[in-house]
Amino acid sequence: MKGIIFNLLEEVIVSHYDEDTWERLLLATGLDGAYTSLGSYPDRDLDGLVSSAALTLGLTPFEVLRWFGQQAIPRLYSRYPGFFASQPSTRSFLLSVNSIIHPEVRKVYPGAQVPTFEFSDDPGGGLLMGYRSPRRLCALAQGFTEGAATHYGETVQFEHRECMHKGDERCLCHILFSSDRSH
Amino acid sequence: MFPPDEEKLIEEVRKLKKRLARERAARLEAESIAEHGLRQLYEKKEQLQLLGAVAVAANESATVDELLQLTLNKICATSRWQLGHAYLVRQKGNEFHLISSGIWSEINCGWMEEFQLATRVIEKPVMGGLPDRTLTMGEPIWVADTTEDTGYPESEMRRLEGTKSAFAIPVRAGDQVAAVLEFVSEQFIALDEFFLQLMAQIATQIGRLLDRKRAESQLIHDASHDSLTKLPNRALFMDRLTRALARNKRIPHVSFAVLFIDLDRFKMVNDTLGHNAGDELLIQVVARISAALRHEEMIARCGADEEGNRETLARLGGDEFTVLLDEIRDPSQALRVADRIQKTLADSFRLGGNDVSVCASIGIAISGTAYDTPSEIIRDADLAMYRAKSLGGSRYVIYDESMQALGASRLQMETDLRSALKNDEFVLHYQPIVELKTSEIVGFEALVRWRSRPDSELIYPDQFIKIAEDSGLIVPIGAWVLRQACSVMCTLQQEFPRERPLTINVNLSSRQFSQLDLVHQIGRVVSETCILPGTLGLEITESVTMDDTDRTAAVVAELASAGVHVSIDDFGTGFSSLSYLHRFPIHVLKIDRSFTGRIDFDAESLAIVRTIANLARDLGMDVVAEGVETKAQAARLKSLDCKFGQGYFYSPPLDETSVRRLLHSQEMPMPHPRAR
Ligand code: HEM
Repeated sequence: MKGIIFNLLEEVIVSHYDEDTWERLLLATGLDGAYTSLGSYPDRDLDGLVSSAALTLGLTPFEVLRWFGQQAIPRLYSRYPGFFASQPSTRSFLLSVNSIIHPEVRKVYPGAQVPTFEFSDDPGGGLLMGYRSPRRLCALAQGFTEGAATHYGETVQFEHRECMHKGDERCLCHILFSSDRSH
Repeated sequence: MFPPDEEKLIEEVRKLKKRLARERAARLEAESIAEHGLRQLYEKKEQLQLLGAVAVAANESATVDELLQLTLNKICATSRWQLGHAYLVRQKGNEFHLISSGIWSEINCGWMEEFQLATRVIEKPVMGGLPDRTLTMGEPIWVADTTEDTGYPESEMRRLEGTKSAFAIPVRAGDQVAAVLEFVSEQFIALDEFFLQLMAQIATQIGRLLDRKRAESQLIHDASHDSLTKLPNRALFMDRLTRALARNKRIPHVSFAVLFIDLDRFKMVNDTLGHNAGDELLIQVVARISAALRHEEMIARCGADEEGNRETLARLGGDEFTVLLDEIRDPSQALRVADRIQKTLADSFRLGGNDVSVCASIGIAISGTAYDTPSEIIRDADLAMYRAKSLGGSRYVIYDESMQALGASRLQMETDLRSALKNDEFVLHYQPIVELKTSEIVGFEALVRWRSRPDSELIYPDQFIKIAEDSGLIVPIGAWVLRQACSVMCTLQQEFPRERPLTINVNLSSRQFSQLDLVHQIGRVVSETCILPGTLGLEITESVTMDDTDRTAAVVAELASAGVHVSIDDFGTGFSSLSYLHRFPIHVLKIDRSFTGRIDFDAESLAIVRTIANLARDLGMDVVAEGVETKAQAARLKSLDCKFGQGYFYSPPLDETSVRRLLHSQEMPMPHPRAR
């Protein structure tokens, strides 16, 4: 996992709680916390930090990741305003993760393992997003999506129809955008 | 406990926090710089790879198509443009337009097929649409948002439906746009100067290959085409004929024909008006024949306006052309084409200030005969052409088996001519030249005949002179004629002495005329045969005089000072420039029989003869009208102040005995006794 994700997590924790909280998390996980955005660090570091945070904050790891994703979006926006500016809506922003954002991420962060989602329109309305990754970070995806909706002044209903955490072979998320409902 | 210390500590912590914040800010900035650098590095690497791959391909690609395909693939794979398409530029007259190359590339693009369809449905790219504008402006065009009003025509907007951005760039070969590459995407793609530069470099690479391919095909074209007329040359014609022959072997009912065209009187034009005029004439002739063939092609295809080359017109060299008529239904088609060619050449050609007429002798060979090699077919067409020429030219003749014998007989005839010289088989006939006013014989033109066996018929020069010329035998034959004519005239002059002694005219071919020791040779004949000075005349054609005008002027002058007259034979045929005449001390103009024959009903012929007569008078020359056959003609000529005539009305060519008899009969009523 790239250092940028750890940096974002640190920023989110520090700004919502304080530096001590972040120190305690590091201490509890046994990590030194020296992350630079361009470096690559073990996936289990993130798992450890999320688990400790869940314990400390009295949340589930799922909820921590989701919250983290939501909170990370404004920070991503301040770092990469172009990705947001070129898309007019949550939906198109989400679609651009496959075609623009993650391909770009690969260019900037050598060795990044970003997911490619399987997007399709749900005949019953909304967007279907398939996700496969050994990291099983569908909660993060939900958080990112919700954060993005907030950014665009929209809301989304996010539903995990299939989930690797429930033993499914992949995650299949159903996303209903407020803009879908309005017409 | 120790408040001051505590304060110090707090102060310390604050400083440390500030330092930490500085350090973090510095780290973030360093990261951001590094990220930016990495991003650029990645881009550069990708682009260099792309450019490198295209450059390598441009050097190695066997075909332009290959290179275009590879380039489109690479661009779509490394950029956000999802679909790429190449158009090629075609020239029709002065118009340039685009056609689809059929080369596409696509990366995750769901509407590829619709777009392809929309692009193909319109036969040509929409006028004023994106690719068309790129062609006319010669500059790349980037449409960052195709959903906005772009000012493109509606059909173009429809074609671009489903896209969000589009981009097109011209590819130049030399100074012309030779292709246009078009890319579309279903995402909005903002103008990217970096990418634009890269594309410009890629376009240059493709242009290089296009340039090279053009140069190659130019080379191939040059090696297989005649530089003057741009027609296929012999090599290419042979190649096409070989193919037609091979196909005919497989599918015998699809036949073909070869026309062998030789221009009559081309050499004369070339010689009298100069090589530039000759070249110009060839170009004009080719244009007319090509048009005639195109017309024929339209008929054969029932007006279908498709391009094809079922007819190949080639220039074998000089004024010899061949036509391959491929896939003809029946031989009559070949005749129709030959006829059309002759008709199309009937009107005169305008060369500089001159009107020139030429016509063509055409030989036709048809694939029905069992041919094994293309040269056999050309040989037969050539033989048929030769027959057409020997029948007087300006006609077409289909090859038949009997001409095979003719071909063999040409060789045979050459051998025969050699032995004829050795065995003294040539005979001279003499046609009287008459003073029109008095009908008195003033001299003769010597005409050669050939009797191959004592009991056989006479063979006339039209049957052997061309072969004699081709083989060079004309020189010894001509020398024999000259000596023979002079010695006969010598005796006639002694037998029939006159105040103005009888004259003798001998024809001189260009081969003879170009002999360096011509004047010397003639001087020797004159002195050895005791012919009276000033009574020998040499007849040369206009073309002979124009071969090398400086030399001609010198030779004619030398001959004149040796007392040998020079006449211009067949004067007035084929061209209208008389201006050169004063350059030579010519004594006599002989008006061609074709004018004499029409003088009493054709105003134009009359005008020509009148002009020649006036001209001759102004230049102090005599005029002899050839081919006088009727009383009316003789009377008309007299009225035009034409002094002399020659023709059947007075007498056909006669053998020596008949000449004596005629001269005797004329002598009787002569009122005045002769001086000698
Ligand atoms: C400005 C926007 C974004 C940026 C810069 C970004 C960047 C990244 C980076 C750097 C990683 C780490 C990859 C690695 O370390 O190997 C990552 C992972 C991931 N991103 Fe994004 N991302 C963005 C938006 C989103 C959004 C909107 C989603 C929502 C669906 C998303 C879903 C994910 C997921 C699920 C992962 C986890 C990696 C895995 O599953 O293996 N990202 N992203």
